[in-house]
Amino acid sequence: MTRDEIKDMILEIIEDIDEDAEFDGLDADKPLRDQLDLDSMDFLDIVMELRKRYKLQIPEEEYPELATLASCVNYLEPKLKEV
Amino acid sequence: MADYQLIIIGGGLSGLAAGIRSARFGQKTLIVEQHHLPGGLNSYYFRQGYLLETGLHAMTNFAPRGEKHAPLNRLFRQLKLSRKKFITHEQLGSEVIFPGAVLKFSNDLNLLSEEVARTFPAAIDRFQAMAKEIAAYDPFAEVPWQSARKFLSSRLADPLLEDMLLLPLMVYGNAEEHDMDLGQFAIMFRALFLEGFFRPEGTIKDLLDMLLGQYEKFGGEIRFRAPVKKIICDNERVQGIQLQSGEEITADAVLSTVGIPGTAYLSGWPLDFKNYTGRMSFMETISMVPAANLQQERTRRTILFYNLKEKLTYKRPDTPIDPSWGVICFPDNFQGLEQKDPVQARVTNAANYDLWQQQDPARYKRLKEECGQLSAAAVGKIIGNYRQDVVYQDSFTPMTIERFTAKPEGAVYGSPIKIKSGKTPWQNLFIAGTDQGYLGIVGSMLSGVTIVNQHLLK
Repeated sequence: MTRDEIKDMILEIIEDIDEDAEFDGLDADKPLRDQLDLDSMDFLDIVMELRKRYKLQIPEEEYPELATLASCVNYLEPKLKEV
Repeated sequence: MADYQLIIIGGGLSGLAAGIRSARFGQKTLIVEQHHLPGGLNSYYFRQGYLLETGLHAMTNFAPRGEKHAPLNRLFRQLKLSRKKFITHEQLGSEVIFPGAVLKFSNDLNLLSEEVARTFPAAIDRFQAMAKEIAAYDPFAEVPWQSARKFLSSRLADPLLEDMLLLPLMVYGNAEEHDMDLGQFAIMFRALFLEGFFRPEGTIKDLLDMLLGQYEKFGGEIRFRAPVKKIICDNERVQGIQLQSGEEITADAVLSTVGIPGTAYLSGWPLDFKNYTGRMSFMETISMVPAANLQQERTRRTILFYNLKEKLTYKRPDTPIDPSWGVICFPDNFQGLEQKDPVQARVTNAANYDLWQQQDPARYKRLKEECGQLSAAAVGKIIGNYRQDVVYQDSFTPMTIERFTAKPEGAVYGSPIKIKSGKTPWQNLFIAGTDQGYLGIVGSMLSGVTIVNQHLLK
């Protein structure tokens, strides 16, 4: 997957989790949680979706890598290279 | 390999919600339910052409769509259900009625504040400060038991106001007698006074069908009429379950929603059952009454919480029922619902399990009739004599609750001691539902969700 594809995929997962998600004005370098008003339970769903879709196991100590859209892309790029 | 990754015992609201969470991410999941219908305490039955709900008076925790952190909306996201398509009807308004004092409340805390200011002018500032404190309180922190009564008396210093606030919060969710844990008080205060009552469009059946449909869409399996005989376990782990039919089904993990005593019974968990068996049970009488027989002023309300004495005595009565306090609910009185005729009225009073349990069938039937009359006489003081010309009437007692739900001694709110972590002595056996400490329909579903998230998805 390219960086752009990963970005789209993350947004698609979030949209799937929250039917009221608004992406207008989303800053890729700011925490997704604050901007989208999500909580830790929603965050777990992003992790679970990644596992379900790509068989990715993300250990709990690496969850902070998914904090912003930009950090998600950086973190997932090597892991999803072959996808 | 085990037959299932997760087996859930009980197809009530916590079990269904747990099942959806588990199946949603591809885990092979089985729910086993002893009855032919889902719902547990919140189910339904048909009599004389009416669909009657067994538990639901109202759902608590109302939140408009868009309030993302509200428990109701978080729950919908977790279950991947559309809040957009979930139509809700808010309450018309409710009342707490004591001798010489009435507090009206709705889903807007301002009404309750005005009522407190009117009836307890000296306490209004203290009440508002307390409401703020409760809104900020973390009820899910695992802290030792603290007395809600002590808290209230230190904050409000007005025994009548304290009792009036406690009545709805206790009767809708307190498993303990006399007092309640401060954390439970905070959960209930928010659920009733800060969020409020509503009901979903349709009946509990529609809600259950929606949950079951979602569970099955994710590939979850459910077996009805499948009572469990035991949980198969060795020293550290459980292996699965054995049904009463003798069939054995293995699983990587088991989640039990049948309460602490029920789970202990099935697994051989050595604990003192008495400490985990709640003493609060109720008798409820459902009546269909011609609208003309009811006083409009009081009956165009959603729920009336009444106490005919000066003080609230929240305990198991020494008589089969205690009609001196209770709940009168009109389950069709919600905004946007047509007024029906006959009107459905449900009256709930505390009941003594032992005194019902001792009766032979003939005396049980007679007692039900007598208690129905006692209850109607008491309730008549509030809403007028409605018992004449009742079109249809049916009652359930602690025995009914015990038979149809997994609640020993008919204790609807389960064990007075909760296990918030959901853990048991076995590393892959967990509990969810009433005895984990969340209450109400939204609460019990969040319990199922939380325990799966914490222990069964990682």
